[in-house]
Amino acid sequence: MAERATPIRVLIAKPGLDGHDRGAKVLARGLRDEGFEVIYTGLRRTVDAIVSAAVEEDVDVVGCSILSGAHATLLPKVVVGLRDAGASDVIVVAGGIIPEADRPALEEAGISGIFGPGTTIPEVASFLRAHARRR
Amino acid sequence: MPADVKHFAARRELAQAISTVERPGAAANQRIQVALATSAAESRHALVVGITGAPGAGKSSLAAVLADVARSAGRRVAILAIDPSSHESGGALLGDRVRIDEHPDDEGRFTRSIATRGSGHSLAYVTAAATILVEAAGFDLILVETVGAGQAEIGIARLADVVLVVEGPESGDEVQAMKAGILEVADIVVVNKSDRPGAQATFDRLRTGLALGAGAPELLLVSASASAGITELLTTIDEVGSRRGIRGRIRRVEAHLIAAAEAHMDAQVREATASGALTTRAEQIVAGSAPLAGALSDLFGFSEDSDA
Ligand SMILES: Nc1nc2c(ncn2[C@@H]2O[C@H](COP(=O)(O)OP(=O)(O)O)[C@@H](O)[C@H]2O)c(=O)[nH]1
Ligand SMILES: [Mg+2]
Repeated sequence: MAERATPIRVLIAKPGLDGHDRGAKVLARGLRDEGFEVIYTGLRRTVDAIVSAAVEEDVDVVGCSILSGAHATLLPKVVVGLRDAGASDVIVVAGGIIPEADRPALEEAGISGIFGPGTTIPEVASFLRAHARRR
Repeated sequence: MPADVKHFAARRELAQAISTVERPGAAANQRIQVALATSAAESRHALVVGITGAPGAGKSSLAAVLADVARSAGRRVAILAIDPSSHESGGALLGDRVRIDEHPDDEGRFTRSIATRGSGHSLAYVTAAATILVEAAGFDLILVETVGAGQAEIGIARLADVVLVVEGPESGDEVQAMKAGILEVADIVVVNKSDRPGAQATFDRLRTGLALGAGAPELLLVSASASAGITELLTTIDEVGSRRGIRGRIRRVEAHLIAAAEAHMDAQVREATASGALTTRAEQIVAGSAPLAGALSDLFGFSEDSDA
């Protein structure tokens, strides 16, 4: 077998205050089975904590699991935080229940991908393979 | 330029350097060489502490509270947390950060999750190289959490200056079984979860079981959750570490060279397996159409005399 390509590294974060991470864990395991290295950070992380973890782990992708439009306001802050940390080549994607009306603003703010509740893990995986930076 | 860029610059550089050494080659060697030169020039001497023990024993939780105690004493602390890669997908789920609080504003801390990738051992090939880079970045205390199963003990004993073996309160019944494995690697045995029933009994049984004497490991009862006994644990770690002298960096380079040799060998074995060359040669040997002698040099590039 030839040398394996370096796996894409993904930080899965759960910003905000709610205490529900079932979806995030399912996604984390699913992406592991798709060949990604998934760093799972647990619940209730602040934007700064997500950014510093992403820097230390040298990830290619930050995936935020969010449950409501209220959490969606945190996403642009993650994008700005990564940029300020010199890590603007890290893409930010979001999964969860995001109202259709909020999407354009999020895309405008630099969120690369938004996955609604019906998205399958292979769909997320192929999106990330296509959009994450190359090494 | 926003202050944050400067703020994160050192951590980002270290993080990227670790990614570089995860891909063996000229760039990796160059990076390690630079790190060794930096550490020599600036007289850096990190203490590398291996933390091993069964999954769920509390290795990550213990690393987190040890880091807190050491940090409040002004030491710069890094945690390298290793988890297994899936043999099927090559992916990994790295979940140790769940137990480790983030300190985004603190330059004196650094946490990195490492997947074992191709490593047959439970210690990633890159671990030793990562400790060399982390030391050069100015961290005084480096806590390496192993996968805690299989062959991790051998690898961590080779690399670390001090090895901690963490036990939970339930492991009391297996003291005899544990004893042989523990004695081989442990400098310090830590019974964690002292806040739970059974921990004291396990501690007592271990104290009798690991008969004290020359070469016997230190034994401590702690609670990572309650942060009880952690200051004493750190003192014990330092005492064991200072007995070791300054072989630290040499030991790390030795461990790196062994890991690099193993990585090379494992890759050759994978290739001979996948290409069918291994099976073909085995069939020929069994059929008597090719000799056993010479097989290692033909398949894996060993020198002729090593497989005469
Ligand atoms: N009661 C109690 N639980 C603990 C203690 N330390 C860790 N745990 C729990 O044990 C579980 C495993 O801990 P973790 O640090 O992830 O173990 P690891 O797999 O060895 O890294 C978690 O649920 C922790 O909250 C402790 O001192 N007391
Ligand atoms: Mg752990």
